[in-house]
Amino acid sequence: MLHVVQNDAVPPPDGIFRSMFAARKSVFVDLLKWDVPVLDGRYEIDQFDDEHARYLILADRDEGHLGSARLLPTTRPHILDSLYDMLCEGPPPRGDTIFEVTRFCLDRRLCAPDRRAVRDALVAALAGHALDHGIESYTAIAEFGWYQQILAFGWRCEPLGLPCLVDGRTLAALHIFITPETPALLAAAGIRGRHAILANERLAAA
Amino acid sequence: MGMRSTAQAFVARVTAVSSAGDLDDALRAITLDMGFQYYALSHHVDIIAAGGKAIRVHNYPDRWADYYDANALGVSDPVHRASHVTSVGFRWSHIPQMIPLTACDRKVLLLGSDQGIGDGYTIPANVPGEARGSCSFANEAGRPMPDRMLPLAQLTGAFAFEAARRLWSVRQFELEPAQTLTDRQRDCALWAARGKSDWETSRILGLSEETVARHIRQGCERYGVNKRTLLLIRALFDGTLTFTDIFRR
Repeated sequence: MLHVVQNDAVPPPDGIFRSMFAARKSVFVDLLKWDVPVLDGRYEIDQFDDEHARYLILADRDEGHLGSARLLPTTRPHILDSLYDMLCEGPPPRGDTIFEVTRFCLDRRLCAPDRRAVRDALVAALAGHALDHGIESYTAIAEFGWYQQILAFGWRCEPLGLPCLVDGRTLAALHIFITPETPALLAAAGIRGRHAILANERLAAA
Repeated sequence: MGMRSTAQAFVARVTAVSSAGDLDDALRAITLDMGFQYYALSHHVDIIAAGGKAIRVHNYPDRWADYYDANALGVSDPVHRASHVTSVGFRWSHIPQMIPLTACDRKVLLLGSDQGIGDGYTIPANVPGEARGSCSFANEAGRPMPDRMLPLAQLTGAFAFEAARRLWSVRQFELEPAQTLTDRQRDCALWAARGKSDWETSRILGLSEETVARHIRQGCERYGVNKRTLLLIRALFDGTLTFTDIFRR
């Protein structure tokens, strides 16, 4: 089930939120060795996890975390403009209809085919959320291997700058455009969205 | 023109391609803009899907392409193999530090320069669930590598490969869900991949040895193969098993 968490909306079950921050710690700190703050030895939370952040969280029937992404408004300090402006040749895109996608996280307890189904569902959810809420584009920073996967989802992308070597990783920033045609572009690229989740008995929510 | 505007102009052009000829033209132009002479974009094919619809676009001299094909040097191209171990662009001169090279490999790399191709830069295109590929830019022997342009080459390669993928509708060659193993078949395959015998696997999973053998045999049937080695390779190829799964404890 997809949970959309915004400050002015009904909060999600508490367990889901905590399991998201725990999954983020497992992926970004334990696996990817990012130098980011950890709370209580268990949760990855940074200064951008404030009341302005939005979260798309996919959970299984037991409210366990499957995958999640954090959206930050570009009208406030966010990651591209605050920490990685060298990845952007020109001013970082900013506006009420532009959000930054960060902390795209797939739960490590998933096996490879399930991880892919959750990944696809989360990408479809990002597009759906944008269309439902008047978001016209997303910005994102990605390590180069992940950057290529993002292109391969089929949506329209433009580079914001050249790839740079940052702390031993090759990172690049891109701009992803969401229009009414985007769901069809994703489907043509094999992103079957919620169907992939529902067809998988292990992942399907009640 | 700044680098970003060059990149954006290329992206706009390559996003609009509707034929192999368009893609060829776009790559030819950006190759020269960046100070290279040669380009090659290819799918490291997936012989299983067959159909001969591999992506392949290049402007290497004919005599090199013919020589390469005629001699089928080695089991596989060392440039392609190196592109499988990284997700960022690399120079060909760096390949010896990336993968183990056989005498045959070294011969292939030297042969390129005999045919007039000097050092090159390859951008891997490795997307999970699809056959791998790469985009390479190279110079004539004796011409220097345009170092300043390598980040742009990296971007160009990524967007060019994505355009090629769209053009060739590669995704229709993804293995169908019909080959998915059951949980038990996958568990048995995983332990086999970790080097366990059927008896050892039966102890680990709490099954009889005959049951383990049956799961593996049925897994082979799902993939249409008759050797468990092939089952493991196919499962790795389509992501049913990953190296991380196998080596994780």
